[in-house]
Amino acid sequence: MNIIGIILFPPIAFIIGIFFIGLSRRIMARIQWRYGPPITQPIIDIVKLFNQSSVSHGIIFGLGIILSLAGSIVVVLFLPLGKICPISNSGGLLVILYLMILMPLGAALSGGEAANPNTSIGISRKLILALGYEVPLLLILLAVMTYYKTISIVEIVTMQQSVGWSLISLPLLLSGIAYLFILPAILGVRPFELIQAPQEISSGPIVEYGGKFLALATIQHAFGLFIGVALFVNLFLGGGGIGSISTQLGSILTSAGLGCIVSFLTGLIFFLKMLVVFVICIFINAVYPRLRIEQAVKYLWKWPTMLAFAGLVIVFIIRR
Amino acid sequence: MSLELLLIIAFSSAFITYLLGKLSHRLRDFFAVFVSCALVVIIALFYGKPVGNTFYLSFLDLSLFLRLNTLSWFFAITIAVVGVLSIIFSLSYMKRKERTDFYYLMMLLVNAGMLGIVLSGDLVSFYIFWEVISWSTFLLISYNQGSALAAGMKYIIMSVVGSVAMLIGMLSLYASYGTLTISELAVHTSSTSFGYILFLLILFFVTFGIKNAVLPFHSWLPLAHSEAPSPFSAVLSGILIKMGTYGFLLVMYVIIGLKNFLTLGQGLLSFHYILSVFGAITIIIPTFIAVIQDDAKRLLAWSTIGQVGYIILGIAFGTSLSIAGGILHFFNHAAFKALLFMVVGAVEYRTRGVRDLNSLGGLIKKMPITFIGALVGVCGLIGVPLTNGFVSKWLIYKALILEGSPFLAFAALIGTWGTILYSYKLIHNIFLGQLPDKYKDIKKAPFSMQFPIIIFSLIIILFGILPGIPLKIINTIVTSFGFESLNVTLWGIASETGALNTINIFAAIIIAGILVWLIFKAGRKSVSVAQDDNYAAGAYVPHDKYHYTVNFYNPLYRMISPFLRDFVDEFYTKLAGWGRNLSSAVRRIYTGYVGDYVIYIMLFMALLIFIQLKWSIW
Repeated sequence: MNIIGIILFPPIAFIIGIFFIGLSRRIMARIQWRYGPPITQPIIDIVKLFNQSSVSHGIIFGLGIILSLAGSIVVVLFLPLGKICPISNSGGLLVILYLMILMPLGAALSGGEAANPNTSIGISRKLILALGYEVPLLLILLAVMTYYKTISIVEIVTMQQSVGWSLISLPLLLSGIAYLFILPAILGVRPFELIQAPQEISSGPIVEYGGKFLALATIQHAFGLFIGVALFVNLFLGGGGIGSISTQLGSILTSAGLGCIVSFLTGLIFFLKMLVVFVICIFINAVYPRLRIEQAVKYLWKWPTMLAFAGLVIVFIIRR
Repeated sequence: MSLELLLIIAFSSAFITYLLGKLSHRLRDFFAVFVSCALVVIIALFYGKPVGNTFYLSFLDLSLFLRLNTLSWFFAITIAVVGVLSIIFSLSYMKRKERTDFYYLMMLLVNAGMLGIVLSGDLVSFYIFWEVISWSTFLLISYNQGSALAAGMKYIIMSVVGSVAMLIGMLSLYASYGTLTISELAVHTSSTSFGYILFLLILFFVTFGIKNAVLPFHSWLPLAHSEAPSPFSAVLSGILIKMGTYGFLLVMYVIIGLKNFLTLGQGLLSFHYILSVFGAITIIIPTFIAVIQDDAKRLLAWSTIGQVGYIILGIAFGTSLSIAGGILHFFNHAAFKALLFMVVGAVEYRTRGVRDLNSLGGLIKKMPITFIGALVGVCGLIGVPLTNGFVSKWLIYKALILEGSPFLAFAALIGTWGTILYSYKLIHNIFLGQLPDKYKDIKKAPFSMQFPIIIFSLIIILFGILPGIPLKIINTIVTSFGFESLNVTLWGIASETGALNTINIFAAIIIAGILVWLIFKAGRKSVSVAQDDNYAAGAYVPHDKYHYTVNFYNPLYRMISPFLRDFVDEFYTKLAGWGRNLSSAVRRIYTGYVGDYVIYIMLFMALLIFIQLKWSIW
């Protein structure tokens, strides 16, 4: 089962991520009264880019983007999707948190080697923004880990199947709301699109990419979207479960020898939850203008941080 | 081989090196490297062979002892390894400098003194070796003269304050128990009053806090680290300040003992919790001060203070996981911080003394090995998985989260994200970006500099993938303090509440990396271009100025810099100013007129008579 998971998970994550990119362009187009590209456009672009010529600025220029993409694939393997988690019990949420550093780190190394001020400005903004949203995000994750008294993400998902989603369980409500507030920043959509900011810094970190570099960067972006949304769904929307009835149904089906169907169904539910969350983020993306970096950090350190802090205090008092 | 002989070799070789230097520099260099290597081998041979109290000297009425247990072995081997590598690094770094004989004498003396500290079996020897390193450190910090003299002076003044505190603590211990042997003190203190233990802990907190640069005693460190010669900065940051950590462990868990220490006060007001809070503050503030530094060594110095916070937080929090994490972080920090100081030293050597992060750039093309060293060191510093820093931080976080201290855990975690900011700035501003014209002809670092950089990089990666090797030794230390044993495996920790398995992570990253690399290779081949061949939206690319490094995190600076003044240092400076004013005021009474002095005497006599009449004391 685990081997199948390891082989299947990255392609599934890739397909979902790339579908999200296509979908977001489509929805954005409709909101703006345009027709929009076909939903398969990102895949067509990637295939085309692999066949195009490109320029390289050195070894790290390539290795950085490889590291970034490899890092995101590894994170995917540590995230439970529905009922299955390919590599569990290897350090839990803390390892995921630290593996997620590989993505910006690889991109930053590659961008630095590009020796273009636009990339450097983009990376500087990316790291500042990351610091901005990590403050509330860490408070939220600590509240979750303290509440469930474990650092294992698989256990957090399992426990939600018996006690209900974290988002609607009262002690974690504030943390969940705070997480929703910072989700656009984590995904890098407007109003937090300042890393790429095409009109200001010519797409920032990816300005020097062309051909296969740009293709890998797009794939990495797809994985990044998947990870950002999947982490939220796992921690606050109960992963692949929809309450105790589904758990009972699942155990009946499993005992009847239909374990595969259960895995498929939980996976499907997981995907639907991700879709809802992502579409909400696209709507936010469609209506808001871009913030400046100071405004973004000020926003992130104000309301979401206060909510997350209050959430952590509540959990801390309950669990003492 | 006995412990006395080990120390005799260590100390005498320092002086022999000095004398050999008068004959021939090559001979001196060879001897210094040889002796430091020999020390590593000798200490390595002691592994697993604890030595009980060995009497070596009698001083006043006290017997002085040496002893070796797992704790001191672990510190000793770290000292010896960092020592030998820094000596090797010095070979080319010090080549163009003056007074090199003196430099080697002091370097070897510092190493010998530190070995003495960890091998001491009683507090008198501890104090003597402590003073040896304090003074030789002072001489090394001020080696470069000029502004280094002020840095050294600041260090030695704070160090003397610490020594005095330790002396008071020792005298009071001697007055109470009549012995200063560590093993006997440990027996005596088990039945001591609450107040006395608190008194001792506060005294030793001042001593070791100053050496270890815990907030609010950190203010000597940024100056000292940036002014000292780079190989010595590596020793200073890597191991010398960790003598404070050793002292903390010794006082808290050996002399005072686990039970007394952890039951000192209750809940949030217990001593160990307050010390943990000090650790947490020491993580946050210096980390963000490091982000706004422009001098490479100053940045690393502030980063050192921040990392010390993790160590203090780990050992003060007082569970077996957190202490294992704290001790492991001591070792890891010694490796990656020594490495980073050497990287900066190599850059400084090749660019003839440039440490300013705003004027470097693009050196990756000229110094590739040094860049790899910097990258590995920075990854260790951040705690990227598969480097050793990750394991120790993971242990500390897990202990903090599962023991219900999420706020301390938050301080530690957010420190990591600050670390990412300054680490990337360090790497980007030195090695990435555009190569300025003036560094076009720079050569790669000499072999004697690359060798320690490579060794440290290998250590960082090896112990990141197989953390079980040091953890096994640390587990022995932790159990010797009386904590429950950890379930250590070769690749991490097995546990019910979340295990660590670095092999899984390693395999996943390697396989994913190869996979992506294959996809990358399958794409059409790319063409290498010059660094000026950049996209500038159709604008002209200004030659030699197309670089974004100055004020790298400018938006963040503007937001946080008002909060990041070093209030403690300002307070100390003010205190020193008051002292100076007071002294000059006192000096005014020496007017030089005999009549004035007679009046003073008369007034004093009158005061004495008044006191006697009023209260009849005598």
